[in-house]
Amino acid sequence: MVFPLHKPVNTTSMYPTVSINKAEQLREALLTSREKTLEQIYAKTYPMVVHYIKQHGGNAEDAKDVLQEALILVYEKVMVDQLTLTSSITTYLMAICKNLWRTEYRKRSKFDSLDDYEVDQPTDETLADTPQQTKQLMQYMEALGQKCKDILVDFYYHNLRMEQISVKHQYRTIHSATVQKFKCLERLRKAVSSFSYNQFLN
Amino acid sequence: MRPQLEHLQLLENYLHQHLPEEQRQDVEIRLLWDKEWQQNVSSQQVAYEAIRCEGRKQLRKELEAIHTRLFCK
Repeated sequence: MVFPLHKPVNTTSMYPTVSINKAEQLREALLTSREKTLEQIYAKTYPMVVHYIKQHGGNAEDAKDVLQEALILVYEKVMVDQLTLTSSITTYLMAICKNLWRTEYRKRSKFDSLDDYEVDQPTDETLADTPQQTKQLMQYMEALGQKCKDILVDFYYHNLRMEQISVKHQYRTIHSATVQKFKCLERLRKAVSSFSYNQFLN
Repeated sequence: MRPQLEHLQLLENYLHQHLPEEQRQDVEIRLLWDKEWQQNVSSQQVAYEAIRCEGRKQLRKELEAIHTRLFCK
C-alpha cells in the first residue's frame, strides 16, 4: 500500500479539549455527528500516536494504520454498548494503540529473524476476519445495490435510529422505512443462505 | 408487514435478545425441531456479519478521508 507523506500540523489547537469522556456521551456524539466527532478525536490522538510509535521503531504510516484500527475497535465497542470508559477517550485509544503496535512490532521482528513464520492467534484486540470470507460477504452486499446497502449499514452498523434513516433516505413514514429495511435484509438473507455458516465459523 | 418480513423481525429480536422471556422460549423450542427456522437463523447471522464487514469498510474510508483532511495538506 502506498501511503501519502505526512506533514503533521498542529491541529489540536483548532479543537477544544475532547470532553467526551464517557461512553454514553461518546455514543450520542457519534450518532448525531459521526464524522465531526471522529475528526475531533483523530486530530487530538494522532500526534500522540505518531510520537509513541516513532519512539518505538515505527513511522507515521504505522501510526496511521494503528490509530485507524484502534478507532474501528472502539467505534464498534461503543455502538454495541460494551464500553465503559473510566478515562478519557484519548487515553483509552492510546492504550489500545500501544498494544496493537507491540503486537505488530513483534510480528515484524519474527519475520526478520525466523524462516518459519508463526501465525498469530487473533486476540480480542484485532479485527479477526479472514480476507476471503470478508470478500465473499462484501460481494453479497454489493449485489444488493447502493440504497439497500446504505440502509442496512446505517441501521445495523452505525445504529442510526429509524427516524434518521427515513429522513436520510426520503421515506414518508418510519413504518415504510422499516418495511424497506426488512425487505433489504430479506434479500440479503436469501443471498447468503448458500454460504455455509459452519464454514464461516471456522 | 407481510408474514415473511414479520418472521425476519421475530428472528432479529430473538438474535438481538430483545424478546420477552415467554416468546424467547417459544422460538428456542421451535428451533429445536424446525430445520427451516434453523437455516433462517444461520443465514440471518451471516447477513448481519456481511453488514458489519460493509460498515467497517465504510468507516475505514471515512477515517482515511479524515486523515487526508487533517494531515496531508
